[in-house]
Amino acid sequence: MKEIWTSIRRTPYQSFSAFLILFFTLFLTLILFVSLTFLYGTLNYLETKPQVTVYFQTKTLENQIFKIRDDLMASGKVLSLKYISKNEAFNIYKQLNKDNPLLLEMVSADILPPSLEVYAKKPIYLPEIAEYLKKQGDIDEVQYEKDIIDKLLVLTNTIRISALIFFSYLILMSIVVLTTMILFKIALKESEITLLKLIGATNFYIRKPYIFESLFLGITASTISFGIFSFIVVYFNSFLQSYFKGITVLSVNVFNYPLNIWPLNYVFFAIVFVSITLFGMIISSVASYIATNKYLKV
Amino acid sequence: MIVFDKVTKKFPLGNTALNDVSFEIDDNQFVFLVGQSGAGKTTILKMITQEISPTSGSIIIDDFDITDKNFSQKIELRRKIGIIFQDFKVLSDKNVFENIAVSLKVIGVDNSDLKAKVKKTLELVGLSKKEMVFPVQLSAGELQRVAIARAIIGDRDIIIADEPTGNLDPKTSWDIMKIFKKLEGKKTIIIATHNTDIVNSFQKRVLVLKDGKIIKDQRKGGYEL
Repeated sequence: MKEIWTSIRRTPYQSFSAFLILFFTLFLTLILFVSLTFLYGTLNYLETKPQVTVYFQTKTLENQIFKIRDDLMASGKVLSLKYISKNEAFNIYKQLNKDNPLLLEMVSADILPPSLEVYAKKPIYLPEIAEYLKKQGDIDEVQYEKDIIDKLLVLTNTIRISALIFFSYLILMSIVVLTTMILFKIALKESEITLLKLIGATNFYIRKPYIFESLFLGITASTISFGIFSFIVVYFNSFLQSYFKGITVLSVNVFNYPLNIWPLNYVFFAIVFVSITLFGMIISSVASYIATNKYLKV
Repeated sequence: MIVFDKVTKKFPLGNTALNDVSFEIDDNQFVFLVGQSGAGKTTILKMITQEISPTSGSIIIDDFDITDKNFSQKIELRRKIGIIFQDFKVLSDKNVFENIAVSLKVIGVDNSDLKAKVKKTLELVGLSKKEMVFPVQLSAGELQRVAIARAIIGDRDIIIADEPTGNLDPKTSWDIMKIFKKLEGKKTIIIATHNTDIVNSFQKRVLVLKDGKIIKDQRKGGYEL
């Protein structure tokens, strides 16, 4: 620690420049990371909303409907199912037309079809489910919003690919800029590195102070970025509350484990902090490793 | 022991720095390399430190055949060698103590041993009172003393010096050479120099180089080209 501080003190401008680049990179990464996480969470939420509604003929027995329901649940592609019997359909109808007694007089529970609302685990399963339902007997109609689902699928894929490309670019840019910055710093020490090589220092011995200093700068920059980001999030919390009004839970899958991101919680913040710190440590140490390589060929 | 056997060095542009050079230097021997600029003195020193490799021939230093294609002990070899440069190469952002200690730190000497060894070496080169001073506050002679201290500390068996008095006035040059005199018989010392007076007065082995070849090898020689 003493050596890191001495090095920073002896080359303050280069260290400060490296810190600033790291800070802005990490702050930008943090904003993107959390924004994309929320986007994924929202997409996951929206993906469970599209549904297939199947209307059975009025003569269809409940046992037949329950068999279809059980088969769908067993397929592993269905998130949830809701059976609406004739009576429930009539109650809904009554509720919708409570101000129009004429319409209520004309309709009874017997003429309303029972139905199933099927929520798929992924939108991609919906056409398959719809096809399966169409092949069953006693089906009156199968409805699902094909265009909306297709657009949602295209949108989610586009966002995923764009995020991947943007993150790759951000990582590459950060490493290139940081390497250049650290090269400026190390260039001042070229004769020292040459001397150390000539008197028998190992490559690790020469790299160690630069990597440790970069790690220190990476951890400091990520901590400060996280602090400022957290302050902004807390400051705009009421706006977020109104923006996500009606959505009780948003979650994303992290290595097949669901992580709740909304409402904001300590676990999510802790994971964000650890991720951004690791990211800062990795890019800063990779950059200093590449930068030192140039001068180790004596 | 250092053995050069038919060593030739040709650079890519075609100039020949060394041409079929052979010699042996025994352990703890004191040797001057003399010759005009471009004669090949620095090339020999750089080959010993493995900064450059020969085009042909073999070089053996102690048990290491450094020209063997499978040679992988460059670090171990360099830890046996102390180097002194004409331009000192003293680290400007480290004080005298730190400059000398770096030679021990690279070989992993404990901090407890390090302090005592550095103080002992500072005494040897006459810089005991300047251990906390930074290079910018030192004279050329003192800078060269720091460089010598850095080269001899850590039980390095071979000391090579490339024009160690090249940037110093005559009196300081003699003071510096007195330090080498103290090391005589304890370490192998190879000094490349143009300083006629020093070579003549020491009466040690002299290898005379001209156009990349050894033209004289005198056991107790003077400066003759």
